[in-house]
Amino acid sequence: MSRFRTALRESGMLLLAATVLGFIYTAAMEKGIFVTRQPTSTSSLLSSANAPVMVARDQAKAYFDGGNALFVDSRHEFDYRLGHIKGAINLPLNEYSLKKGVLAQLPKDKLIIIYCDGAECNSSIELSARLFADGFLNVKIFFGGWNEWRSQNLPTDKSTP
Amino acid sequence: MEVAEFANRQVNSMKYLLSNDYLALLTRTFVGLLFLVVSLEKIVEPAAFAQSIANYKIISPPLTIILATVLPWLELLCGFCILFGVFVRGSSLLLSAMLVAFTAGIISALLRGLDIACGCFTQDPTVGKIGWMKVVQNVTLLALTVFMYYSSSVRFSMEHYLRNRTAG
Repeated sequence: MSRFRTALRESGMLLLAATVLGFIYTAAMEKGIFVTRQPTSTSSLLSSANAPVMVARDQAKAYFDGGNALFVDSRHEFDYRLGHIKGAINLPLNEYSLKKGVLAQLPKDKLIIIYCDGAECNSSIELSARLFADGFLNVKIFFGGWNEWRSQNLPTDKSTP
Repeated sequence: MEVAEFANRQVNSMKYLLSNDYLALLTRTFVGLLFLVVSLEKIVEPAAFAQSIANYKIISPPLTIILATVLPWLELLCGFCILFGVFVRGSSLLLSAMLVAFTAGIISALLRGLDIACGCFTQDPTVGKIGWMKVVQNVTLLALTVFMYYSSSVRFSMEHYLRNRTAG
């Protein structure tokens, strides 16, 4: 038992030393935790050069008319079936890893517009971060989303996915 | 009687293994150098290591960045201690705990079907994908660290050397 106690005491000292050294080093070198741009959080993904940006309704409409953009609906399938932006595909955030195969064929610079309900949801932002993390370089978020699109009587569809 | 004799022999050979100085030295050199070397890239690139941890989708971002700051240094210190024979018990215990945690993370990621890089030896996301081979590797390493924890050999260790000097 004393062996274990000794080992625990030594572990404690090593842990303390590693913590102190780790923080001093990263602070001195301004790395990792002490860099303003943290690679793990969503906000930092949004600050990089090709990172997803928000677009307003007019812009989204322009992309829609241009015909080059792929609209992605990040809401649940149920909502999607009830109605979605015409031509949009359904990719619910919580099923992302399961269903992201639908994007596999797309070139990484494909213009992708993601939306959900609107201001009350953030799945479009989360999904855009996932897509960006997976290498898509031209992702935009239509934050007004379904509510704003519908209120303007823009083209919608009800077809199943 | 024969059973007792057999058991006795097993215990004796176990004792022999655990007290063998050269076996301990060999294991310590291998494990110590290994952890020393793999810790260096993580120390230099804590952000890349944080991303590697985040890929497992187990730990929340704030904790990820703290782990990425502390873990590489812990690997470095433990590797150093094991190599030179200081705090061998404590280092072995810590390394064993880390290996158990890493292996659990890898198994969990494998079961969830995550296609991610291990982040174990290198932070390059395109090489070293996790797989069951990684689990076998880690369990082997774990066996070595557990062996070092129970090893009673003190020869060839800095601690032993220093203690003898101060005593003499």
